[in-house]
This record gives sequence, C-alpha cells and structure tokens, in this order.
Amino acid sequence: MYRTVAQLDSLTQLLATWFPDFFTRIQLPEASVQGRPVFALRLRAGTGPERRGVLLVGGTHARELMNPDAIVELAVDLFTSYVNERDLVYGGRRWPAADVKLILEALDIWMVPCVNPDGRVHVMTIDGMWRKNRRTNAGTTCIGVDLNRNADFVWGVTQGQTSCNPCTDIYVGPSAFSEPENRNVKHLLDTHRVDTFVDVHSYSELILWPWGHAPSQTTDPSKRFTTLPTGTCAPIGVPGYQEYIPPRDLQRFQTVGGRIRDAIEAVRGRTYANQAGIALYPTTGTWSDYTYSRHIANSRLNKTYGFTFETGPYVGSAEESFHPADPEPVKRDAKSGMVALLQQSICAIELIGLQFFRAQTEVNALRKVRDKLLATTDAGREWIALFERVEVPALAAALQDRDLLAESAELVKRSAGLARDDTVKLTAEEVDAGVKVLRRLRTRVDDPALRTDLRAIEVHLDAMRGVTMAKAVERLMAQPPSAKPKPPVPRGRAATGSNATSKGIENGSPKATANAKASAGKVAENGAPKAKAAAKPRTRAR
Amino acid sequence: MARRSKRDERDERDVTVDEAPGRPEGGRFEATVHPGERDVALAQVSDLDLDRIPDPQGGVRVVVTADELAELVRRGYEVRVFRTVPIAPLDPSLIESDEDARRWLDERVAGIPREEEG
Repeated sequence: MYRTVAQLDSLTQLLATWFPDFFTRIQLPEASVQGRPVFALRLRAGTGPERRGVLLVGGTHARELMNPDAIVELAVDLFTSYVNERDLVYGGRRWPAADVKLILEALDIWMVPCVNPDGRVHVMTIDGMWRKNRRTNAGTTCIGVDLNRNADFVWGVTQGQTSCNPCTDIYVGPSAFSEPENRNVKHLLDTHRVDTFVDVHSYSELILWPWGHAPSQTTDPSKRFTTLPTGTCAPIGVPGYQEYIPPRDLQRFQTVGGRIRDAIEAVRGRTYANQAGIALYPTTGTWSDYTYSRHIANSRLNKTYGFTFETGPYVGSAEESFHPADPEPVKRDAKSGMVALLQQSICAIELIGLQFFRAQTEVNALRKVRDKLLATTDAGREWIALFERVEVPALAAALQDRDLLAESAELVKRSAGLARDDTVKLTAEEVDAGVKVLRRLRTRVDDPALRTDLRAIEVHLDAMRGVTMAKAVERLMAQPPSAKPKPPVPRGRAATGSNATSKGIENGSPKATANAKASAGKVAENGAPKAKAAAKPRTRAR
Repeated sequence: MARRSKRDERDERDVTVDEAPGRPEGGRFEATVHPGERDVALAQVSDLDLDRIPDPQGGVRVVVTADELAELVRRGYEVRVFRTVPIAPLDPSLIESDEDARRWLDERVAGIPREEEG
C-alpha cells in the first residue's frame, strides 16, 4: 500500500505535534509548481547546537512510490526504538538499541519524504508511470522537468540519459534549479549542515555515488567539472574526459557503500551493487553529484557525501518494479540501508571532542591529520578505513560503560592535544593508557573483525612509545594496519624508503611523505598555535 | 477499495483540469532495444531521449510510444516489445486509506507519552 501526499504530510505533522522533543517539521520556502506545500522533518534526540547532518530525500521521481513511505516509516522506527529502548529489526538485520541511541544523539536527521508532491498526485490519479514534476513547459504542450537532471552540476550537458527536449522524461528544465521543488532541497543544503545525503529512487538495487557524468580517476586533479561548459545541450566536448575524485573520497564512497550493501543484504539476502553512478548510465544535473560537488565548486562549503539508492529489483514489468503490489520487503531493505548510512555518518572523534569537551580546535587538528596526511598514502587510507570501521561500534560499546567512556574520551582528548603539537613525544604512560582502553573495548565487541581491527591499533600504538606525533603519523602513512610495526625510516629517506611511494600519493606528489613531518607541524592552523619550527622535541610531562 | 481524503479528491480535480499530455497520445510499450542486423550502436539510443529504465541484464530497456518505437526500428534497431504500458492511474487498491494511515501511526507510537493536538 502507498500513502497519498496528504497522508504523508499528516503523518509528519502528527509526529511534530505529538513529539516536539524529537521531531521538528518545517515548511520549505517554495510551494510546488501546482501550489502544494513541501515539508522537511528533522529527527534528533537531545538538545544543543546543530550537529553533523544527514539529509534523506524521496519521491524525486513521482512513479518511484515506495521511498517516501519508507522514509516516513524509518523516522517512526528510529523514534520508537529510541524511546522504547528496543532493537530495530529489519528481517535478518538487527540494529541494537544502543546503536539507534547513538544515531539519534549524534546526528541531525533531515528528511524530505516527498520532494515532488504534484508528481505523486499525478501518479495516483492520472498516470502511474509519471516521472517528472508538473511544470508547464513554455512553447510546448509538454509537461514536466526531470528533477534529477535539474541540479547545478554540469547542468544542461546532455551526456547519456539527459535531454534538452521538454517533451522527454529526462528534460533538464530551462535552467539549473529552475524548479521550486529542487530549490527547496538546495535551501536545506544551504542553511543546515549536511554531511551525508541520499536521494532514494527505484529500481534496480543499486547504491550509487559520484560521478555520474564521466568515469572517475584519482590521478589528475586538473580534470574538474568546474572547467566544463554548461547549458550546451550537447555531450561533454572533451574526448575521453574523466573526472577527478580524491582517493580518500573514493575510498569513503566505496566503504560506506559497502556497509550499506551489507546492511541491506542481511535483511533478506538481496545484494545491491555498490558503484559509481555512471555505471547505470551517464547523467548530469543529478542530486548525488551536485551535493558532493558543492565543496569543490565553492571551497567555503562543507563536504557532503552524496549517494543515490535505487531500491528494489526488476520484477517482470516496469510498472510492478516501480510500485509493486507488496512494497514491504523492498522498504525493509531500503530502511536498513538508510540506517547503515546514518551510522556511517557519525564521527566518533567529533562527537566526543565537541559534545564532551567543546574542543573544536583539537577536532580540527585531528581532521587535518586525517585529510592532509593519512589520506595521501595507500597505507594511511587503510588506517582511515579502519578507524571508520571501528569508531561507531567502539563508541556504542563505550557508551554502555561510564568508566570506559571516560577513559576513551580522555584518550581522544590527549590524541587531539598531541595533534596540535607534533613535536611532543608519546609517553609510555600515555601509550599504556591507550592500550588499556583498546583491550577493554575489545572485550565489549562481538564482531571478530572488529576485534582484529582494535588489535591492529593496539599493536601499532604499543610500538610508539617515545616517538613524536609527527613520527607516529609518518609511520601510519607508511605502514598499513596489517603490517608488523617497525621503526620509521631515517630522516631524509622517507620519500623513497617507505611504502608511501608516489603511486599512493594524492595529486601524484612524490614529496608527500617527505613533507609529512613538515605538514604535521601545521595541522593546528585555523586557530591553534602552530608548532614552532625551532621547538625541540620534549617528553610530555603528566 | 481505498478511501480518498477530501484533499486527494481536490487534487484529482485540480490535476484533471490542468492536464496536458506529457507525451504524445496513444499507447506506450515496455521494450528492449538490440543492435539488430545492421549492428547499430546501442550507445546512440541515448540520442533519441527515450524514457530509459534500468534493465536487469544491463541492456537497454525503454518505455516508448508507438512513434518512438517506429523510429527505433527505422534506425535499424531490433526492438522486442514485452507489454503495453497504459496511461492510467495507480491501481486504487494500492492506495492506503486515511483511516489506515492514521491507525498505522497510532499503533506504532502506542504507549509513548504525547503532546495533545492543538
């Protein structure tokens, strides 16, 4: 069964009215083309300033009926799981109540369940296969703009399934963001922190991420969409064009997409493909590409990881695939995938650093170590992937034990402090304290793979007594988690003597490793005092 | 039979009044497109701006009008038609009633203290 637009609006209204401590509903600035209001719903537990944000969007394409329902149901499922302290179960996938608690207390979850209300009404009353909004296209008798071709990303370049013909189902519209339904979503992105975005579509069981307009490559940063002309109503004019994506971002899309795939598969065994958007077919002006591109087009904007889900399989006909008689199994898959996306959007370091200590400067310093140093080598990126695997389950485990949480928080605080001054050496006491916390965490998690990851951190940390933070980071950049810890290469040989060869270095810079130590000394810029070049390494007094 | 809210009834009237064809009148067909005897490149199907939908085998599956279907054949493609796709609303039996939609929420949040409705 499918809900009408009025029913979806009524449910979000009731949630916001009944449970105002959890739900906030806002009417977005613009009505749809036919004058219907469009609403966003925010779900969070607790108070405080704006947090890391996730935006879930559904109903962009009118005929893909399941997803607005799934998003509203997910909001209710998360809320009831939190309040009743019960696990959230979708088929064979169980989300512990502690995980749901962490999600609701760490994130602002924004939802626009039905972006395109006019289209949904049209599907339910006139044409069940309608895709676009209901714009009257001037000078034609044709109706509608494809809302997933109208965003300001290589807009109007008719690569693949994109068209400037108003009578087609893939019409880009008269200009980028010409449609009020799309400006509403952009408004949310412009006015709230959104770290992760997903536009939920149907069908074909896919998890898609950038890029959709061209194949991706990780070696030539000069190949940027910002250099491409827009509005040409012609394909990309550069033969063999491939769009750059930093290796660290590509890795994150792949790993987060992999977690989403696994969470969906655990429900009832459906295996979604985890791939770049172009693997489906080339497109421009799509939401997931636009959201991820924003920080590249405008460096003042935060990075948003943009995903597209294509929920449900092909089941013998297009109509039945877009709106099956029984959508419940597909909705369970989709909801499990969205929970995984939410969970992967939590940053444990930021949560502890900001919510416990209000230590913005230290969190920024750690983030810089991650993005400017670790992300530049293959080994470093393996460490990032490992940290991203363990952080949420480890944090959830720590939240069950006040002492362990306090010790973990202290560890994060010390690490952040060290990141601000990379000349400080890790003392034996600090390493012992870290190892102790890691060992205790290992006893609190059930997943053997997770215990292996925690053990890898422990082993490498244990070998870092007496080394400076700069040297510690340098080791992580050279030695992947699976490697046996070994002393760092002597000074002056780092660029050629470690695993951090130019092959694994972002931007192809052969000096990245050699520069690591120098760069590490700058990680505390943007507010924190820089490490003085002349400062001598010292042993940290406790 | 699903029951409709007043809002939906109004929506239906509104949409019916301003209805204009988004695509040419007539039937539509779900079909797959193949290179045919002339071995026409499938990549060029995108030049026709068709409503392409995902195909489980990774092929080119489309929903096309009779005119579009004829154009595909004229260009040398082999087109395999599977079924007609009528221009008709969603089966009303698939639409939730207002009462059931409200009941679903009431059951889910039963027992959780709530603020009164204004």
